[in-house]
Amino acid sequence: MAAIDFKVNGAAQSVDADPSTPLLWVLRDHLGLTGTKYGCGVAQCGACTVHLNGEAVRSCQLPLDGLAGAEVVTIEGLAARGGETLQRLWAELNVPQCGYCQAGMLMAAADLLQKTPKPSDADIDAAMTNICRCGTYGRVRAAIKRAAGVTA
Amino acid sequence: MNIDRRAFLVTTGALAGGMALAVRPPEAAAAPAPWGPDAASGNELSPWIEIAADSTVTIRVPQPESGNGTMTQIAMNVAEELHCAWGDIRVVNASVQRDYIEKNVYTHGSLPFFSGHGTSRGRMAHNMRLGASARERLKMAAAARWGVPAAQIAAKDSVLSHAASGRSLRFGEVAAEAAKVGILAEPELKPESEWTLIGKQSPPKLFLPEVANGSAVYGIDVKLPGMVHAALRQVPVMGGRLKSHRPEAVLKMPGVRAVVVIDPAKSRRSAVKDQTTFGLSNVTEAQHGVAVIADHYWQAKLALEALPVEWVLGEGGKIADHDSIYQAMRTLRDAGAGKVVVTRGDVASANGKRIVEAEYLTPYADNAVMEPLNGTALVTADACELWCPTQDSRQAYWVAIDETGLGPEKVTVHNTLVGGNFGRRTQAEDLRMVVAIARQFPGVPVKTIWSREEMFRQGRYRTPISTRFKAVLDDATGLPQAVSGDLCFAGDRPLFQLTQGYGDAPYFNSGAIANVRLTTTAYPVHVLNGAYRAPCLNSNAFITETFIDECAHAAGIDPLEYRLKLLASWEKPWSDTLRLVAEKSGWGKQLRKGEGLGLAITNWPVATMRNFGSTMAIAARVSASKAGELKVNRIDVAFDCGRIANEDAVLSQIEGGIIFGLNMTLNEEMTLKNGAMIEGNFDEYPMLRLGDSLPAIHIHLGALSGHDRFDLMGELPACPIGPAVGNAIYSATGKRLRTTPFRKQDLSWT
Repeated sequence: MAAIDFKVNGAAQSVDADPSTPLLWVLRDHLGLTGTKYGCGVAQCGACTVHLNGEAVRSCQLPLDGLAGAEVVTIEGLAARGGETLQRLWAELNVPQCGYCQAGMLMAAADLLQKTPKPSDADIDAAMTNICRCGTYGRVRAAIKRAAGVTA
Repeated sequence: MNIDRRAFLVTTGALAGGMALAVRPPEAAAAPAPWGPDAASGNELSPWIEIAADSTVTIRVPQPESGNGTMTQIAMNVAEELHCAWGDIRVVNASVQRDYIEKNVYTHGSLPFFSGHGTSRGRMAHNMRLGASARERLKMAAAARWGVPAAQIAAKDSVLSHAASGRSLRFGEVAAEAAKVGILAEPELKPESEWTLIGKQSPPKLFLPEVANGSAVYGIDVKLPGMVHAALRQVPVMGGRLKSHRPEAVLKMPGVRAVVVIDPAKSRRSAVKDQTTFGLSNVTEAQHGVAVIADHYWQAKLALEALPVEWVLGEGGKIADHDSIYQAMRTLRDAGAGKVVVTRGDVASANGKRIVEAEYLTPYADNAVMEPLNGTALVTADACELWCPTQDSRQAYWVAIDETGLGPEKVTVHNTLVGGNFGRRTQAEDLRMVVAIARQFPGVPVKTIWSREEMFRQGRYRTPISTRFKAVLDDATGLPQAVSGDLCFAGDRPLFQLTQGYGDAPYFNSGAIANVRLTTTAYPVHVLNGAYRAPCLNSNAFITETFIDECAHAAGIDPLEYRLKLLASWEKPWSDTLRLVAEKSGWGKQLRKGEGLGLAITNWPVATMRNFGSTMAIAARVSASKAGELKVNRIDVAFDCGRIANEDAVLSQIEGGIIFGLNMTLNEEMTLKNGAMIEGNFDEYPMLRLGDSLPAIHIHLGALSGHDRFDLMGELPACPIGPAVGNAIYSATGKRLRTTPFRKQDLSWT
């Protein structure tokens, strides 16, 4: 195994691990970035959503050996990359309940607003495919609309 | 002014009489931890409250936070009397070990270490007394410093002020002195008319900024020096055991440290009588299993997948499928040997011509909490530390004691945030397995994580319920002269066989039905049940409210009117909530075929106690295409929980609970083959998502009775939604749904 070099939240990282290790576990176990959550491991729930080269992706599906040269942004780096308003509204509007899925929700929402600053309900439906067992969906939608300055 | 040691003041330092206040130098700030200390530390005004020199108010809360806002509610209760600035508050988990050692300093109100119930009567009052006592002692410390009477000092927003001299200081400036003050007589609580927080403000949950920036620490996020990771596999058929495995096949894989076996017979057992919340019965027992311990979780998982394992499946392996369980339940249910839980009059005396008879079934379902079960334990020869997400800290503590055989003073539980409970983390059998693994790798912290597949297939599932109801309707009124019910639970654990929504339904207890006979039986089966949001009410509400709807239609009476007649002598909120949702939903208007409105009402936790618990009515509006595509368009909700302490917290529980209950009703079923659960992940166990045409939820406050209680709202909303939607589907299509999930049923119509 040779170390794989990539960037996380702007910082250069070099990780030497089993090449099949998903980015999710690279972040959590090797880099100590535990804001990205394990929920299902099969790209269903979205709790592990991060930005890879500017796209929201399920990090449980990205093996380490495909990450050379990649730019990864996690929830820990979101505030410095335009996510502050969303993060503030998430707390102000009491969006999360248990909160476990919400890092993934925020990463998906931030990706949506970067690409579609004024999303329609249909845009939000299409972008927000994450599972929340607590049932916070209504507030997630409201917070995205508030952040985008569109009518809730 | 009398100064004396307070009953719960545990800080050291003898108090002199009069105004001579010993001043203790501020202690070095410890590294901030999300859990409370196991012994007194800092400027404690009680084990619950510590105020730092910078005026940060740390409130130690015995109930874990799992998204219901418990810790924030406790902080509101304390702050209402403490008069600190809301922004100065920090909540941490109280130590259950400290509670044991210091003899119940955190044990107040019912279920003292159980997540939730932050507004239960005894607890709120106790929290307020803590706040009031601390506030008075801060005033006395300031009074001593300024040489003025404490009665002239005001406390507001963390500031103590003396108007006559224009002096003021922040709480933190006298906190060390205040921590030494004891008072002889506790201050009176202020009248409710002076409340500024409870019922007046709706602060968001305190931990949300950390959730939003990724720094919140759930159990799965715990990091300890030298920590290793374990991946776990339990015998696929519950009650089976390990036959053989070959650790040598994986021990040389990268990072692998050990392969350990979980054998329930090897639990060490507590030498001390336990003080668990739910008892140390079989519900806390481990299943047989194996675990691989490795440096990283991914290494442990790869090695576990490569580990050759053979199981003895046991008796459970002979159960062909879930349907064979349900069929056996029906047979037992109808055998006439059930335990009578309600009896009134003589059901055989009824003589009406119209009979309504139907049977209902609710299947296995999994809690599907988003944070997989996990825990981190460090076990040595004479100590055990456990970091964990749990729904009940005291249960976790005693199960760890029982598994290690160590004395209670040697076991520490550090609570983390909890990524969802819904009952799944109540019994601590998961944490027993965490400790069982770690004690076989002593001296090193071991974090064990359930895979999602392990979560689904090793659940502690919702208790399936099969019920047959029969009503004889009065020829003149159409109301039941008699109702007979026979119910069968799956599983043999009495803890998860509750009759809420059945035996306590007002219909059957108010006297409106003269002759009632209800029975229960339980079919023993190897599949393990547990607590699932609103245990058993989540089934019984569906069954009873569907049955009553069937009676109304058979009688040719509007289902709203029918319920109101049956509840006429019952407490008013039942009728008020029904009327309100009917009005708001446009009940009574003619709808075209394919459109329907349905009603349901229920209570948690005990409907038969007056002015107790919370009652909720729901009106659901649906549309169903001829092809059978269902859309739930709108939900109207009215409820009575007495009063509301934090309105947005209550609304949030209702919104989420309705989505939870809707998912349960439309989607959820765990199925079985040859004794083992089939579904392993969300691709096989679909969950509602944001884009799934979710209904607009309209919550109405107009039926609140104002009765002097702030009752609970966690369990209830998941229960009336299902029958309301089912009754609406009947109204829209003429199809009566007597089992869930609806997604597996044909809703097409012509």
